[in-house]
This record gives sequence, C-alpha cells and structure tokens, in this order.
Amino acid sequence: MVRRESGSNTRVGDVLLEGKGICKDFPGVWKHLILNHIDIDIRAGEIHTLLGENGAGKTVIANCLSGFYSITDGQILVKGKPVTLRSPKDGIQHGIGMVHQELALVKPFTVAQNIALGLSVSDFSYPIQEVRERVKALSDKYKLYVDPDSRVEDLSAGEQQRAEIVKVLYHEPEILILDEPTSLISTDAEHLITALEHMAGMGYAILFITHKIEEALQVGDRITVLRLGKNMGTKDSSRTDKNELVRLMFGEHTPVHLERKPVKSDSIFLEVKDLDAPSTNGEPSLRDISFTIREGEILGFAGISGNGQSELAEVVAGLRKVAVGHVYIGGEDFTNRSPGEIIWAGVAHIPEKRREMGVIEPMTVAENVVLKDVHVAPFSKNSFLNIPQITQHTEDIVAKFGALVSDLWKTETRILSGGNIQRLILSRETWRKPKLIIAVYPTQGLDAKAIEFTWQLFMELREHGTAFLLVSEDLDEIMALSDRIAVMSRGELVNIIDGAQAKREEIGLMIATGSSRQ
Amino acid sequence: MNINFFWGIFIGSLHAMVPITITGTGETIGESAGLFNIGLEGILLLSAMTGALGAEAGGALVGLIVGAATGFTIGLVFGLICTYFRGVQLIGGVGINLFSAGMVAFWLIHLGVPGHHAVAEESRMVDISTPYGSLSPLIFVAIALPIIVYFILFRTRLGLKIRAVGENPQAADVAGIKVNLTRLFSTAVGASLTGLAGAYISIDWIGSVTKEISAGRGFIALATVVFSGLNPLLVLLGGFIFGFFDNLAVWIATMPAVQKVVPWQFVAMAPYVVTLLIVAGVIGRVRFPAAMGIPYERE
Ligand SMILES: Nc1ncnc2c1ncn2[C@@H]1O[C@H](COP(=O)(O)OP(=O)(O)OP(=O)(O)O)[C@@H](O)[C@H]1O
Ligand SMILES: [Mg+2]
Repeated sequence: MVRRESGSNTRVGDVLLEGKGICKDFPGVWKHLILNHIDIDIRAGEIHTLLGENGAGKTVIANCLSGFYSITDGQILVKGKPVTLRSPKDGIQHGIGMVHQELALVKPFTVAQNIALGLSVSDFSYPIQEVRERVKALSDKYKLYVDPDSRVEDLSAGEQQRAEIVKVLYHEPEILILDEPTSLISTDAEHLITALEHMAGMGYAILFITHKIEEALQVGDRITVLRLGKNMGTKDSSRTDKNELVRLMFGEHTPVHLERKPVKSDSIFLEVKDLDAPSTNGEPSLRDISFTIREGEILGFAGISGNGQSELAEVVAGLRKVAVGHVYIGGEDFTNRSPGEIIWAGVAHIPEKRREMGVIEPMTVAENVVLKDVHVAPFSKNSFLNIPQITQHTEDIVAKFGALVSDLWKTETRILSGGNIQRLILSRETWRKPKLIIAVYPTQGLDAKAIEFTWQLFMELREHGTAFLLVSEDLDEIMALSDRIAVMSRGELVNIIDGAQAKREEIGLMIATGSSRQ
Repeated sequence: MNINFFWGIFIGSLHAMVPITITGTGETIGESAGLFNIGLEGILLLSAMTGALGAEAGGALVGLIVGAATGFTIGLVFGLICTYFRGVQLIGGVGINLFSAGMVAFWLIHLGVPGHHAVAEESRMVDISTPYGSLSPLIFVAIALPIIVYFILFRTRLGLKIRAVGENPQAADVAGIKVNLTRLFSTAVGASLTGLAGAYISIDWIGSVTKEISAGRGFIALATVVFSGLNPLLVLLGGFIFGFFDNLAVWIATMPAVQKVVPWQFVAMAPYVVTLLIVAGVIGRVRFPAAMGIPYERE
C-alpha cells in the first residue's frame, strides 16, 4: 500500500527526508546545543542506522524529524521540498511515521482503540471494526502479528513494540523512523529486522536508531554516528567496521578485561525456600522456587522475559506478596516484610521499569538521588535537608557513571535520556556497597562503554562481598558476570548450572526447551 | 405507612439525585481528560444564584441556560489556568469555591431579605404532575445524561480522545490530538453541567437561594465520581443512593420520637456518610487516569 507501488514517482535511492544544519537547543536547561548542525538524509529503499551513545541526541533528532519537537535552526526537506513540521500530525501528513523509544500507546486502550485515536474521522464515529480488519491485513503483509483487541497493558514488551509499529504503518508512511525498536525485545529482534528489510525492499526509507554497534552493522545500509549532538560522519556499512564505529562513537576507547576469582565466602546471604507467589496481568505465577545466593556471588537468571524473573525479583525486593514459602535475608526471615525493611537489611534494587519504578520523573535529579537516604545523616539533620551535602553527593553519583544532567536541583528527571536515567539508578543503587543487589536488566538501554563500566563495577562489588540476583536477557551479560546461571520457565525454576563451565549452547538449549514447554 | 408514603420518598429521592448526578456526570468528563475540579461546590452555589436571577428576568428556561453559562465560564477560566498556563488544579478549584462563596454572600445582602432570596413563584420551573406527586423534567435529563455520556466516552472517537489526554497526553499528542484544547473543552463542558445542576437547585427544587444552598453536594458529587471509577452509570446510581438517604433522613429527623433523642443535624449527616460508605464499599478499588492533575508540555 505504499504510494510508490501505485505508480508514484519516487525511486529507490531518491532522498525522501533530509535534515540540513539542524540545531536544537533547550534554553534554560542546557547551555550547549543538544543538536549541533546535523546533516542527515534518508533514501527510499534503504535502512539508515543512526548510532550513538546514551545522550548523544538520537531521540531528539528523531523527534525533530517527525515533527514532535520544533527545531531551533536548520531545515527539514521532504522529497527535496522544505517543510515546517509543527506537530506529529504534520509529520504524518508528509508521510513520516515514528516509532517512539518509550512507546506512545495509551495503556488501558486496546490496540485498535489506540489506532482509531489517530485517525482523521468524525469525533462521533467509532471505526473499530474497520481498524480491526486493516490491522489483520497489515499484520499479514509485514509479518508483524498483533491482536487488535488486546489491551496494550496486557501485552508483553515485544507485542507492544509490534503494536506501536503497526499503529504507525496504518497511516501508510513512506518514511519510517524507529527509535531503538530492539531495546525492549532483544530476543525477538531478528524478527523485526527481517520485517524492516522486507519493507526497505518495498521502497520505504527507514531510519533505524540504535546504540548497539553490531546491530548497526547488521541492519544498516548506511550508518550515521552521532556523538554529543554532532554528526561524526556517515559511512556505508560495507566500507566500515566495528573499530572505526567505536572510535567515532566514543573517541579512543580500550575495552576492559573482566576477571572472575572464585567466590570466597560460604555464608549464604539470600535464601528463597519453597516459594509460591500469585501473578498479575496474566504473567505466570511463581511456583515452588528454592535457591540460595552466597556473599560475593552472582546468580544470573537467563532467558526470555515473562517467565517469572521480574516477579521473583519483586518478591525478594518486598514489592510482591508471597503466598507460600520463605525469603531469608542474612539469615533472618523477611517473608512479606515491607520494601523499606528490606532496603535497610542492605538490599538494593535496580528495577525493570526504570521510568516508573526507578525514579520519580517530575522530581529533580538531586531529589531522586537521595530519595532512599534522605532521612539519615549526613543528608538530613533534625528533619532538615543538608543541601550542600546532598549536592556534593549527587555530583559524585552523577560523575561516577558520567550521566548527562544539567542543573542538579532544577533538571526534572523526566527530560533525561533513557540511558542516562539508567546510569543514575545504577549509580544510586551501588554507592552504598549493598549486601545484595537485585539487578533486573541492569544495562538495558546503555551504550557499550557504559555496559562495560557497569560490569566492571559489579565485579568490584562482588569482590567486596556483595551478592547479586541478576536478571538479564543478554546472554553475554549473563556469561560474563554469573557464578551460577539459572533458567526459569513459566514461573518455575528449570535448572541452575555452574557459570564457569557453562557453554552458550547449553544455556540456549535450556532456555529453548524450557520455553518450548509452553 | 401507606403506599403513597413510599412514592413520596421515591420521588423526593429522584429530586435530590438530580444535582449529584448531573454534577457528577459533568465532572466525569473533566476527570477523564485529566482535570480534577474541586470547585464544583462553588459552581453549584454561584449558578444557583445566577440561575435564579436569570429565571426572574426571563423565565425558568433562561434561568437554566444562565446557570449552565455560568458554569461554562468558570470551567473555561479554570481550564485555561490548568492547561495552557500550567496552573495547579487544586488551587484553581479552591479559588472557585472561595470566589463563589464571596459573590453569593455579597449578592444576597442586596436582594430583599438578607441571607435568603426566595425565587418568585412565577419564575420557577413547572413540574410535571403525576398521581404520586410532581416530577421535575430535569429528572429525565439526570437519567439520560449519564447514559449519553457513557456512550460518548466509551463508544466514540471523541471519548477515546478525552480519555487519551487524561491517560497518556504524549501518546495523544503523537496521534495528532490537541491535548490542551481537548482538556479545556472537557472541563468546560463538565462545569456547564454543574452550572445547570446549580440552577436546578434554586429555580426548581428548593426555590430559594441561601449561602448554604449547595450544602456540600458538589463535594458529594466529587466523591461519587471518584468512587465510580469515572463510570457515569455508577455516578447515576451513587446520586440516587444519596438522594434516597437524604430523604429518609429528613423523614427520620422529623419523627417526634427521634427528635427528642437525636439532634436533627446529626441525622442530616447520615446521607453523606452512608453514600460514601456504600459507594466506596460496592465499587472498591478504582484506577484513575495516569496523567490526572499533571499539565502537559511537549518539549
Ligand atoms: N525535553 C527535553 N528538555 C531538555 N533536555 C532534553 C529534552 N529531551 C532530551 N534532552 C537532552 O538531550 C540530550 C540528548 O537526549 P536523547 O534522548 O536524544 O539521547 P539519546 O541519544 O536518545 O540517548 P539514549 O540512548 O539514552 O536514548 C540529553 O542530554 C537529554 O537530557
Ligand atoms: Mg533515546
């Protein structure tokens, strides 16, 4: 249904969308330009990847090109003609569709309702039936399956991602911008990429944003690297390689080597015994789970999300009630105790939903950093905040992970880029050297350099005696960090194996057979 | 006790239901769009006053229109403050209550008997007489309105738009919806319904204006909306429950046997408490639009 197929005059290779000298400035928040004279063009029939570290400005430029943000300076051209985009609606009218990083879906609505919302039809109509049929047709055409009648909040991350894409395709855009579409669906990315390649073959112009170098090389026909708001160059993916891209992204950078000495201590810090816990939203309920984690040991839960890993993490953090069984922390029974008591027992939590559970978005960076420690010295005294102390501490926390924030007491956390929020949470949850860290997808959305830094920090803490309950879909992360590796399937623990001896294939098989039992 | 007595209570309940239900239905529209107007009480009071003046100038129908227009104007100001000017909704609402209380108290001094203004009989709404008692036409409006609003909110694209700006304004914006305009429209329409209910109180139901004429009904409507989980059909039910106990309480309070033991004020409190308990108990946990109370800014 792309216009070109019906005899339109664009051809493969034509520039459909072009940005010339684009500048974006957030006056009052940042002193420097967030986008500094960016030139970029996207052509019919190609996938153009935009690569950059956290906070490079990838989301901002996507928002500018789709009409969501206004531009401070420069020009946007659609098929060679200058346009002014005042709203996403203008973008859609010019054939530009954008898939947002933090999906733009109304959660309590069904997929069909979300699509109907954006149609230019009478306010008093309710075109759900029509939407339902077209969604089915689009699903078949692009092999992106989604049930139009499911409520968005009941869908898994991957399904939500597909729903968002189908919603955008509904308007028949010729230019498709996808902001980190694979960060929510690491295990299912292959499928999406195939669909996108198929679409490029049909003549779409696609801008694909990622911070993963391998992915950029695999997916893109051309790659543009963005670094702190500057375009570092556009390369043909056949004529560049990983090293060059790393250099463009980060400047000089030497990868670190992780070393893992055997676990020193024999004392068990976390014990989960015969645990059952009910579920919500159709996720599997936890059944009959028992395991232990020693001091200075990392237990990694591998595998596809939605098998109970996040629920398990929530139980240990005190955020979900236990029906049967026990949770012992440091030898003491903490079953169904409050999250506050569990924090005070020395447990830190890096939650899965960083924007919802990790920070309070409308509060400032400094407030978020001291949130958990605000009632104790030195951050407060006689119930009064010690502002200089908090400022100093926040500066340290921010600096440690190199999070990009502007004024500590003025910047609302909401405006930080996804990766920078994650850095803030990581830094805040690790500085106390907790006895146990529950880390759920801890490096989700981080660029390669920040991931290495995180891994290194985890290893240092492990050395120092911190126990880890790690949940990750990234097998490299699990292999690099875990002393033992656990696999869960449908709320049950399938197996726990020794990390040092584990082979990738073996774990892959465990995950596959575990999930094939579904 | 005879059958007529029950009809009396029933018809009385319907009349007492009207202001709660109409106000609550209007507020449901505003809250669905993310604006919480704590100033309903003030709108009821002020439009009871302006409605009465309108009715005396041009008849009952004009009175109702003036009441609704009063509500619309206040809703527009409140909406503008809370959307384009990013104001705090709670303060806007409190402002409405203070402003209205002051205005009505001031006006009442200038209208004949200080503190009490009786609406002239010929300016009052003509009720429909039935064998069991007379019925206000607004009763039918109060029953039809929640059904219509339910249909609009849940079965039209307009309803999707209203609920989307309350739940996820950014997603609505991306879908091409004017977030602030939709919010402004929703709260202003909601407030004009409240204005209609205020005019009903003075020119139809009670027939006079005093400083206490709204008697906390704006707050009860607000509570009913909260506990209904923004479902207008449950607002209708909540309104009737309140109306029923309100009438029952009047009857109990005037029984000589009761009067000796319990002060009437105490009995008059019962409908408020009972309504809250029943509505809260029956409906239980509800979920609110995620972006309730938060002004939207794109960049
Ligand atoms: N609305 C806004 N107001 C002020 N600053 C903003 C706003 N949106 C983004 N920024 C800033 O612009 C910079 C670039 O952010 P952007 O979200 O584009 O990063 P990104 O490259 O997408 O990173 P990530 O990989 O973490 O998603 C960040 O420093 C961010 O804090
Ligand atoms: Mg981004």
